Amino acid sequence: MRRIESGKVLSNHKLAKGMYRMDISLPEISSEVQGPGQFISLTVGEGWQMPLRRPMSIASIENDSISIIYKIFGKGTVWLKERTSGEVIEAIGPLGNKFSLDKINGKEIILVGGGVGVAPILYLHDQLSKDNQDHLLIVGAVTAAEQFLEHSPKTGIHLTTDDGSVGEKGTVMTMLEILADKVENPYIIACGPEPMLAAIYKFTTEKGIEGQFAVESYMACGTGLCQGCVIETTKNISKEHTYHQKYSLVCSDGPVYDINAIRI
Amino acid sequence: MTDLNTTIGSIELKNPILVASGTFGYGEECDEFSDVNQLGGIITKSITLHPREGNPPPRIVETASGMLNSIGLANIGVDRYISDMLPKYDELDTTVIMNIAGSSLTEYINVLEAVEAVPNSLAGYEINISCPNVGEGGMEFGVDCDLTSQLTSELRQRTDKLLVIKLSPNVTNIAAIAQSAEAAGADAVSAINTVVGMSINPATRKSNVYTKLCGLSGPAVKPVGVAAVYKISQSVSIPVIGIGGITKGEDVAEYLLAGASAVQVGTANFRDPAAGLQILTEFHDFCDKNNISDLTELIGRLQNDT
Ligand SMILES: Cc1cc2nc3c(=O)[nH]c(=O)nc-3n(C[C@H](O)[C@H](O)[C@H](O)COP(=O)(O)OP(=O)(O)OC[C@H]3O[C@@H](n4cnc5c(N)ncnc54)[C@H](O)[C@@H]3O)c2cc1C
Ligand SMILES: Cc1cc2nc3c(=O)[nH]c(=O)nc-3n(C[C@H](O)[C@H](O)[C@H](O)COP(=O)(O)O)c2cc1C
Repeated sequence: MRRIESGKVLSNHKLAKGMYRMDISLPEISSEVQGPGQFISLTVGEGWQMPLRRPMSIASIENDSISIIYKIFGKGTVWLKERTSGEVIEAIGPLGNKFSLDKINGKEIILVGGGVGVAPILYLHDQLSKDNQDHLLIVGAVTAAEQFLEHSPKTGIHLTTDDGSVGEKGTVMTMLEILADKVENPYIIACGPEPMLAAIYKFTTEKGIEGQFAVESYMACGTGLCQGCVIETTKNISKEHTYHQKYSLVCSDGPVYDINAIRI
Repeated sequence: MTDLNTTIGSIELKNPILVASGTFGYGEECDEFSDVNQLGGIITKSITLHPREGNPPPRIVETASGMLNSIGLANIGVDRYISDMLPKYDELDTTVIMNIAGSSLTEYINVLEAVEAVPNSLAGYEINISCPNVGEGGMEFGVDCDLTSQLTSELRQRTDKLLVIKLSPNVTNIAAIAQSAEAAGADAVSAINTVVGMSINPATRKSNVYTKLCGLSGPAVKPVGVAAVYKISQSVSIPVIGIGGITKGEDVAEYLLAGASAVQVGTANFRDPAAGLQILTEFHDFCDKNNISDLTELIGRLQNDT
């Protein structure tokens, strides 16, 4: 069940250039979380200057608290950055669906995270690691300054940077093409900026590789009321809250979709 | 304790706070946050004759204290509204008003007749006249007195239920449109629908919303709504329902003082699906603090010496 909850900021600190992590105490919401892919949505600013909540993927859950990893993008995320421990933030959640692992059928999982898309991917990475499920992880950024993980190909963690300042030089696609070639039966799960998803979409479609994307979309409510956050679908996958066939509501039917079910 | 009852036509509302069309879905999406039975009423999402997918994305962008939307009347169509939604409204203990949209006079009539033909517990209809009329070269019904009058009287002939005409602020003289609706038999008018707006990303030189022109709502439009209600209530004798930017109890009082008999909460539901109930609590407190015994002490009681 979704809930609205005010929670104390437990910590809020810089992870890398322009990237922050905030831990918020949200016992009620965290007890309802079903898994990676789901998100919460935060009110930002004072009064109604910024009327819309900011959707943020759940990056981890620990002892009644939820962590988000966010990138400074505009005024809402700047406001988030300025919060200090002890301040109270209001959240609604958990919203949306989770990655569905039962579709993987023994295939080899390659996780791909780019930019702020790392949040749900890291949550999934942690879960798979806990369950001792083998998988590879690719995290892309422009330069080393934006990376906060350790490049560790031996343990399956591959960083990429556009300038080669850490990890493999190039985009996540460079690494993905290599790894997808190496493993027998790849299954790709990705979240990141639209150009990255578009490149993966093209790649998987050409190669006939299956997978799932967590997508982003501008939304006003996150609860199915406004019908604003639609994405175009290729088949009729609409559920209860969308009412439509051509478009699907990212907040309620998504944000996780089978790659071949949507148009990017 | 203030008596919060208010009357719109023949319908008595338990309190003056309703939720606005298109901002509360079909009334069931946010069950877990909000007991709709405590609200004065629900206006359901605009329904057209056939289901509509709505406009391509992006459909939404935030603006200073507001938002722009161009949903494109995405809805399930009247057949599914009748089969899936109407039975659910029988179970509710609040006033449910159906909002109807159309792109021709015939479409409005067909939708209303389809619903009139089945037994249901709807209190009545709110007619969204901010729709382009295909037959009249795309001119909106709501910008023209004659079209408004024709539409209202055609619908009036076909229903005894509450008939509310929802007015667009994007007109030269909103009071004149309200008078046309009144003369043609409307029980009430509601105002305002969204204000035409647009937002461009200077870096990409593209519109931030697919349809370019879209509708502004939220606190940014509240003064526009209050002024519209004031102008209308000065020129008609049917009740006015105030809409636009309501986020707190005092906003309700402001609309009532300008002449509204009830209000609708829209955009605020997006931040908090229980906004209507929160606003109700605040409004109740406001009334108690100001020793208001019933709402006639507020409605239209703007003091003229500033
Ligand atoms: C399901 C989902 C999960 C997300 N998870 C994360 C995450 O884990 N970490 C993270 O940093 N970001 C995430 N985002 C994107 C994040 O919501 C935006 O970066 C943020 O809203 C920008 O707000 P702002 O005020 O800083 O920017 P502004 O540009 O000032 O925002 C203006 C408006 O645009 C909206 N907006 C701007 N960019 C986006 C975007 N990319 N997606 C959706 N709405 C946007 C804002 O919500 C706001 O309504 C997610 C988005 C969605 C839909
Ligand atoms: C996302 C969105 C969808 C809307 N859909 C409808 C609709 O289907 N029919 C209608 O008559 N008004 C619709 N409206 C207008 C609202 O009902 C209301 O008149 C307007 O938003 C002003 O009120 P507010 O500032 O409280 O939101 C919509 C508004 C928004 C923001």
